[in-house]
Amino acid sequence: MLEALKGIASGMKTTLSMLKEPRDTYPYPEKRRELAPRYRGKHMLAVDEDGHELCVGCGLCEAVCPAHAIRVVAAGAEGDRTVSWTERYAVDYEVDLIRCIFCGMCEEACPTNAVRLTPFNELAAYDRRDMIAKKDELLAPPVRR
Amino acid sequence: MVVDAAATVGIDIPVYCYHQALGPLGACRICLVEIEKMPKLMTACTTAATDGMVVHTQSQAAEKGRRGILEFLLINHPLDCPICDKGGECFLQDYVFQYGAGQARFEEAKIQRHKEYPVSPYILVDQERCVLCQRCVRFMGEYVGEEELLMDGRGVHTVITNVPGIPLTSPFSGNVIDLCPVGALLSEPYHYRARPWNIEREDTYCSQCPVGCSSSVTGRDGQVVRLEGRPTPGQWGWLCDHGRFTYDFGAHPTRLTEARLDGEPVTVGRAAQVLGQRLAAVVREHGPDAVAVLTGGSHTVEDHYALRRFADEVLGGSRAGLVKPVEADLPLALLGTFAELDQSDTVLLLGTDPYESAPVVHLALRENVRRRGLVVKALGDRHLLRDTLAGEEWVVEPGGMAAALAAATAGVSEHPDARLAAEGLAPADESLVRLGQALMEPGALTVLWDGREQDLAPALVALARARGEHPTRVLPTFGPRNWLAAARVGIPTDYETSRRILMDAADGRIQVLLLWGADPVRDFPDGDLAARALERCPEVYFGGVFPPDGAELLAGVLPTAAWAEEAGTYVNMEGRLQTGRGAASAPGQARPTRNILQAVARAYGTPLRKLDEWDPYEGTVDDRLVLPPLEGSVRPVSPPPAAESGFRLISGLEVALTHDPSEVAARTKEDRPARMHPADLADLGLLTGSGPVELSSGDRSFRVGVRGDPRIPRGRVFVPRGLRGVPINRLGGIAVAVRAVEEVASR
Repeated sequence: MLEALKGIASGMKTTLSMLKEPRDTYPYPEKRRELAPRYRGKHMLAVDEDGHELCVGCGLCEAVCPAHAIRVVAAGAEGDRTVSWTERYAVDYEVDLIRCIFCGMCEEACPTNAVRLTPFNELAAYDRRDMIAKKDELLAPPVRR
Repeated sequence: MVVDAAATVGIDIPVYCYHQALGPLGACRICLVEIEKMPKLMTACTTAATDGMVVHTQSQAAEKGRRGILEFLLINHPLDCPICDKGGECFLQDYVFQYGAGQARFEEAKIQRHKEYPVSPYILVDQERCVLCQRCVRFMGEYVGEEELLMDGRGVHTVITNVPGIPLTSPFSGNVIDLCPVGALLSEPYHYRARPWNIEREDTYCSQCPVGCSSSVTGRDGQVVRLEGRPTPGQWGWLCDHGRFTYDFGAHPTRLTEARLDGEPVTVGRAAQVLGQRLAAVVREHGPDAVAVLTGGSHTVEDHYALRRFADEVLGGSRAGLVKPVEADLPLALLGTFAELDQSDTVLLLGTDPYESAPVVHLALRENVRRRGLVVKALGDRHLLRDTLAGEEWVVEPGGMAAALAAATAGVSEHPDARLAAEGLAPADESLVRLGQALMEPGALTVLWDGREQDLAPALVALARARGEHPTRVLPTFGPRNWLAAARVGIPTDYETSRRILMDAADGRIQVLLLWGADPVRDFPDGDLAARALERCPEVYFGGVFPPDGAELLAGVLPTAAWAEEAGTYVNMEGRLQTGRGAASAPGQARPTRNILQAVARAYGTPLRKLDEWDPYEGTVDDRLVLPPLEGSVRPVSPPPAAESGFRLISGLEVALTHDPSEVAARTKEDRPARMHPADLADLGLLTGSGPVELSSGDRSFRVGVRGDPRIPRGRVFVPRGLRGVPINRLGGIAVAVRAVEEVASR
């Protein structure tokens, strides 16, 4: 009996001594961690000042992606309705955020600097299908509150 | 040439302008090498390799030379690799990576030119990307002989272009896309569709005609998006545009994608089950002779094997036959090869214009004529030679080719078979004797034949025997595209077998007729018999890719997988086997024939065993069918039909019109398939040189668009066989009345 109480006391001593120590966890979402400026989170597709997409659908990000998380389908602009700054643009651009390992190689491979990894890291959904980021979603980069 | 000699020992010398089929030019200078005892760098593609020559391809001087040339080529080359379709499979990218300088020194503005403008419905030219190697210009001008691409301007302003306002119309123009080493000539249908790293690119064959050109199929996201030529030993890898741009037929709206029973959609499994039970009941009651199988010769060898075993083992010996669009049977012993064509001294075009029926063979003929003076003779019921293929031709009355050939042979040869074949025919006149002499010349003879006129088979056998030990070979240009697959697995390919089957069906002796890719009403030479067979036979089931004519008479339809949707073997017109792999997925419920037949066999109660263990190549020699010896007696050729007044109908096969329905290839599909002499058209009142006409014979008639062609003799009207809505096989007789009408019914 005494032995058992001794054991509990010794354990609680460690626990209680830790109460004085600084905290390693954050009370998320009330308080959030400060991220490094080049933190690699969710992708975005950049748009230039005229509103033209920078992405031309070349597919280099798709080729370089080690996780096969990116899918690009390109097309030519119809008539004068250019979507990107040149005639070719991406009709579909999808990033599977569950597959993505956020290595940033797509950003590095992009010849037009269209794909960028934002520091947004709040990736959660109730359905795994919602974790496939479509083009519209990527064109409107999320802002961390 | 040094570059070829290097290639034989595995040393790669970069080239743009050089192509073995086109010969040396030395335009691009990228192949600079250092040759000992020569003061300057030499171009490896224009220097003949000689004994004792010492060539350095990796020396400092050679590398400096190449680097300099690449820097020149890049001066005006735009930096648009990310949007260029060639990106990733471009020789300019590759060589700059391998040999080029890392940095450009040219700081001035680049010259801007036309980008991606169409020179034909299929081809885009990007003049900025062009390195002016002239491969395309020389291919079209020299190799094909149709000068539709040209170089315009001088010096740095030189561009590749078409004749202003005149798009490319040659059926070989698509090859310039494959030939272009950079991204200057692009395929319009493939524009921006895919990149080399996100596609499935598999070796295959072209499925649109019996030539079966080696090619590579590109699939993306389960769809076929491109077909390219693939060089193989002895072949350059050319394709015709009809084959190249028909790749999308599997996705055509008329494609069968669901099974049907009595017009109601059902699952394939259900349809197979019903068919199996039905067949079992019929065979139990009437015996295996009450069921017959007709193949259309478009499925693979493996599928034909399953079909034959299904008829033999499951049904217990039902008859099987092949539906082909021509009435004659080729004695298989005479089947030739393209290699033999390249060795031949004389070629005879027998009723066929290979430019229309087997376009890539036309290129082979032209190359042989240019390279080594192949002699071309033609015998037909219309003019078969063209500006790009010269020779001597004999134009005979419609239906008179067999009699002319037999008489010409007998006019020169004393061989008993030649005499027998020409028995009862008028002796050869001076002109036919000249033909006979040309055909009896020693050396090898290759005959290209489109399978019309049944009596040409004995006439050809007589010719081969009369020529004795000098080889006589026949290349059949008629379809269906994979009919020799039926010969490979032992399904009878002769006209008589399929005619008997259709006669029995028309007489009600057949309870269930199984059509596998066969469209007898459209293709069978006796269209009336085929239509009667489909009407009278109680139950006709169809398995295939596109619905046949008379689809409303079918009791059931089973959709099968098409070319490029499964791996399969194909036998081309020279009897050579080739296996293609799949790069796409079959749409809807379409499934491989083997799976469907297996399901039917299970429902029948007799599953097929060890179907997948059979090897189509087993027993072939050099991947080619083993041919039977030439046997049998020769029968006399019947005299030509008496000349009649009025118009006479002649026919032939034309890949441009009979290929599978395709939305891409529809861009240039001719909507006036029939042809007449322009003077005849003018007589009919069609002064614009084309228009709709009504052809009638007896109480039968149909309407068809006609255009002028001076190669059709006067008084004749040429209508291709096997066209949907152009039932010349139901007209009966060759004398027709032609009348200009207001508008043409839909084709």
